[in-house]
Amino acid sequence: MARRFARKRGGRVDATFERGELELLEGLPQQLRALYDGDETDPARARLFPRAYLDPTEEQAEAEWRELVHPGLLEARFDALTRLEATLATAEPTRRDRVVVHLSPEDANAWLNVLNDARLALGSRLGVTDDTDLASFDPSDPNAATIAAYAWLTYLEGELVDTLLGELPD
Amino acid sequence: MSTAPPAPPAPLEVQEPDLEEVVTTDRPWLVIVWNDPVNLMSYVVFVFQKLFGYSREKATRLMLQVHRDGKAIVSDGNREKAEADVARLHAHGLWATMEHPS
Repeated sequence: MARRFARKRGGRVDATFERGELELLEGLPQQLRALYDGDETDPARARLFPRAYLDPTEEQAEAEWRELVHPGLLEARFDALTRLEATLATAEPTRRDRVVVHLSPEDANAWLNVLNDARLALGSRLGVTDDTDLASFDPSDPNAATIAAYAWLTYLEGELVDTLLGELPD
Repeated sequence: MSTAPPAPPAPLEVQEPDLEEVVTTDRPWLVIVWNDPVNLMSYVVFVFQKLFGYSREKATRLMLQVHRDGKAIVSDGNREKAEADVARLHAHGLWATMEHPS
């Protein structure tokens, strides 16, 4: 299908989707909120909040750093979800039963952060490695739906990154 | 380049610095980004450009170093700057840590 993201003036981006895709995007905030609010030892959540210090003798600095920055990191993630929801709520019908969402530069960056967090979480759940080949997954795999969602998010994020890279100097 | 600043007034008391301590505290902290199997190569380039203002060429070189060697030093500075850089990288989902070279 045609590209989903189109650059507009002033760093704005138009996102055009099929309705089914819109529903998938609308489902992301609920899943990510549960993850953000969930158990800190969950590997998918831990992947989003890595340690700063590997050196075990810096345990106190690690604890102080975590206390200082984690509330802000968490708040930024919730804010991105809120922004995604607010923009999805403005989706307008367009040609061929598709919808378009007009994104400000800040909206587009929030979308990118949400898509990336969703992929990190699903990738962690699926145990994705450098050798994982998304194109050849087994449809009878019990994780098939999750794998398909991961592959779709990967494609979507790749398109959005390519669009936003166009705003940065070569 | 600007010219050298005027010499500061001589201190009344000169304290001999402990050379070893000066060397330790002056050595910058290194911010490391580690390879991970999920983040897209293009996304990593985007984040390096956005956060550090690097050129496309430099951001791409660092991304490829992460990809091939498993890690790359992406910035350095004092402890506070390194902690802030690590937090910004984590906000974007990159796996970053900081260390002091020994």
